[in-house]
Amino acid sequence: MTAVIQTQNLSKWYGNVLGLSDVTLQIEPGITGILGPNGAGKSTFLKLITGQIKPNIGRVMIHGQNVWNNYAMFAQIGFCPEQDSFYEELTGWQFLTNLLKLHHFSPEDINAKAEIALDIVELTKDKDRVIRSYSRGMRQRLKVGQAIAHDPNIIILDEPLNGLDPLGRRKIIRLIKEYKGEGRMIVVSSHVLPEIEAMTNRIILIHQGKVFAQGDIHYIRDLIETHPHIVSIKCSQSRLLAEKFIGYDYVLKVHFDLQKKSLLVETNNRDKFFSLLPSLFIDNNIEVEEITSPDDNLQAVFDYLIGK
Amino acid sequence: MTQSDTRKFSFFLQSAKDVFVFFFSLAKKVRKTKIFFFISFLPVFMAFVVKFSQIFSLARNIEGIYIFNNMIMMFYMQFLILILALFYGTSVSSEELEGKTLTYLTTRPVSKSAIIIGKYLAYTGLVIIMTTLGVVFSFLVLNLNELYELSLYKILLRDVAVLGLGLMCYTAFFTFVGTILKRSIMFGLVFSFGWENVIQYFPGSTQKFTIVHYLKSLLPSPSTGRFSFLLFRLEPSSTGNSVFMLFLITGVFLGLACILFTFKEYIMED
Repeated sequence: MTAVIQTQNLSKWYGNVLGLSDVTLQIEPGITGILGPNGAGKSTFLKLITGQIKPNIGRVMIHGQNVWNNYAMFAQIGFCPEQDSFYEELTGWQFLTNLLKLHHFSPEDINAKAEIALDIVELTKDKDRVIRSYSRGMRQRLKVGQAIAHDPNIIILDEPLNGLDPLGRRKIIRLIKEYKGEGRMIVVSSHVLPEIEAMTNRIILIHQGKVFAQGDIHYIRDLIETHPHIVSIKCSQSRLLAEKFIGYDYVLKVHFDLQKKSLLVETNNRDKFFSLLPSLFIDNNIEVEEITSPDDNLQAVFDYLIGK
Repeated sequence: MTQSDTRKFSFFLQSAKDVFVFFFSLAKKVRKTKIFFFISFLPVFMAFVVKFSQIFSLARNIEGIYIFNNMIMMFYMQFLILILALFYGTSVSSEELEGKTLTYLTTRPVSKSAIIIGKYLAYTGLVIIMTTLGVVFSFLVLNLNELYELSLYKILLRDVAVLGLGLMCYTAFFTFVGTILKRSIMFGLVFSFGWENVIQYFPGSTQKFTIVHYLKSLLPSPSTGRFSFLLFRLEPSSTGNSVFMLFLITGVFLGLACILFTFKEYIMED
């Protein structure tokens, strides 16, 4: 397959701070997930490939053309930025129609496209309300709406699921998959692995400004599964539960957090461990108050993988 | 001009027009405009007070047009158009950065120059409307008894045109300042109330380095009277030269703003 987006030795510094370092990538059609903890360089990468900022070294090409100051290219690109900023005095409808005007559509097309986009992101009912009065989720959906309203072939979404409720997330994920089905190219960033996992198998892992790994998501899944995982359980009979855990070889350590009155269990097989829990609770009549995973985030996984 | 150049130019004009429509309608809604609209109407309230005091014979011997001329020179020329141009001109680019909305514009198929020109025209149009309304109402109130005098309307037209030229020129200058400086308001205040107010009285050609020199050259020179011996006074340029210079300054600074905005990298801080 031919790469649509190509970057060569892409590097970006903000003063003394490294944003991105020596990134050479080829992104093909379909959905590509950009995964990395906060501050890893995901947004810098997306800003570079959309020509928002200039690379210090290297270059970005879309369809073989340079992106920086190539405004004609944006007829075919939709970008949803990460920042929650709008022209607050406008209504959702005015925001979309004014941005669509900049694509030089006819007034009829502008209205039709704005209607469709608002319908997709389910804001038709609230289209005449000023953006200032929108909830966080509505604002996020409007941001996605402006990225798709002009029917682009390349859609670049920076943390599009931030601030959405579970239903909203599911709808956006479904939409992204639909767009893939229509032959469009989607680049989507997130710091939450399951979000990316729900959209695509093809991922690029970015950490500390560098591409840490790229390829199939199962690769990172395998890496994560070997990462010892800590689970905190607050329950009525923590000592009894600890005793039961000892018999399982995938439970590596058990200790008590006296301050939080909880049991901390370290396991090297999350899936097996979590499927064991319900039967243990029911068989031993243990009342559970809370189960949390203190290190269930990408930062912990990355720290583990790079041997911190 | 080749056919391709013509097509590019008409595309540029269309883009600038679309940006103009967007920001003219947006600017009417923002709080800043409501505040400045109120400020630009202060002379009208003042005119009412003056008129009432005239009616109640407190200052009947002062002509309305005399007060109006002073209002133009003191309030509009030395204060209002500077303030309006400063806040709207600098915001052409800086509000997009501060509000982090620049991304929405730069990911559209419009050139960055069209964004600058379109926004500049929208904001200049708006401040000209605001100023003109204030001037016209003040004029009508102050000259209530002489509204049949057609010669007075010539004065009104001339003053409105001069203020319009001033707004066009200052807004272009501050648009440029906004694209180049982060703290453009601070610089703009020093320029407006320092440089423009002081240098205009410097003798010789030094005063020609101010915009206000060319604006005041388009208005009748106030009589120096018994102060004619003073070294520091306005030495007006010719009308043609002044109008040419005002358009030249506007063109140069708008051009520079477009070049800078196109090639400068703006990083929105998280």
